[in-house]
Amino acid sequence: MLNDKPDDATSDAARWAALIAAVAREKDREAFAALFTHFAPRIKTFMRRSGASEQSADELAQEALLAVWSKANLFDPNSAGASAWIFTIARNLRIDALRREKRTRTAGTDDIDLEFQVDDGPSPDAGLAAAQTESRVRSALATLPDDQLRVIELSFFDDRAHAEIAQTLQIPLGTVKSRLRLAMNRLRGLLGDFS
Amino acid sequence: MTIVHHPPDELLTAFAAGMLDLGQHIAVATHLTGCRHCRRVVHAMEHVGGGVLTALPATAMSPGALAAVETRLDGLAPAVATGLRKAATGITDVPGLPPFVRDYPSSSWKWIAPKVHLRPIRMPEASATRVFLLKSQPGTKMIEHTHTGFEMTCILTGSFAHAGGHFGPGDFDFGDGATDHEVMIDSSEDCICLVAMQGELKLNGIIGRLLQPLIRM
Ligand SMILES: [Zn+2]
Repeated sequence: MLNDKPDDATSDAARWAALIAAVAREKDREAFAALFTHFAPRIKTFMRRSGASEQSADELAQEALLAVWSKANLFDPNSAGASAWIFTIARNLRIDALRREKRTRTAGTDDIDLEFQVDDGPSPDAGLAAAQTESRVRSALATLPDDQLRVIELSFFDDRAHAEIAQTLQIPLGTVKSRLRLAMNRLRGLLGDFS
Repeated sequence: MTIVHHPPDELLTAFAAGMLDLGQHIAVATHLTGCRHCRRVVHAMEHVGGGVLTALPATAMSPGALAAVETRLDGLAPAVATGLRKAATGITDVPGLPPFVRDYPSSSWKWIAPKVHLRPIRMPEASATRVFLLKSQPGTKMIEHTHTGFEMTCILTGSFAHAGGHFGPGDFDFGDGATDHEVMIDSSEDCICLVAMQGELKLNGIIGRLLQPLIRM
């Protein structure tokens, strides 16, 4: 869970990063299977909550893990956490899937990767900043109460999921939204100043 | 370049979550291109996304999914970093745009009113949000307008002022349907902005009537 003790989260993150590195270095299939077993079922949930059908959520989760395999050589543990990196893969696949649904694009996720590339290259201190960010985020998430964590999740899904979660938590949708703002403010405060 | 006005946190989070349409995404990406501070916030939110993903309950994969994926691994070539493509005909003459927007096909400035030119950004995707560049000469006073949706403005060169403050290069001006602008260009050079706009415009005055059909394109 998100609010596991920071130590557990740290060792998990280090383990996943090591597995991705093994895939990149040695095409290690055991490492890949371990990544698949943990992440594919969660990416499937992510896609289901984003409105994908059972079948396409399954396919998208498979696509995401194929991308983990082929992009493992681009994973830089100094500039991104393992789960954050896999999240961005799933996110970009979700955007691509939504565009395909509207039949406006068949170009694939490379263009979407570019759309998230907002500067000409990593800044010289990017590695250090990322490491700091990761540990800060981890400890910030660990201090948030459960109900606030639950609504933070909402930022990563659209209104459809908001309504669903309002129902599960048995609170009105308006309350979900105001709780979300509160949780974001709290998280922002915990993350501190980034400038 | 000192940036004073940043996008609100919800917008940076929505960007990191991949929840913005392409037009909105372009506006936030333009701000991020010049703002290291907000790049780090987005990066932090991607880490939050990783935390959210990891904490989601598992949905069982279809039987044989892993085996099916494993048979496809050998055929996959390692990915090559998405380098920046060289755009020969892109939007190369406007500073401050993110690399992917510079790659979009260029279009020309169109005169829309005295001292004001507009240049549409032709997106490769249909988007509910229109995006265009607006170039105003020093001293231009834009007529007040209201609109039913939001408007995001990224200042690329020059500066302007309105009731909400003073805006220079790198600043991000976020207006929702409730905002009324009376904008004064107060720089000695041209003020070029990237504008992303959703909703129907209700423009008042002569510039409004001139702008309206163009922005609908
Ligand atoms: Zn900023």
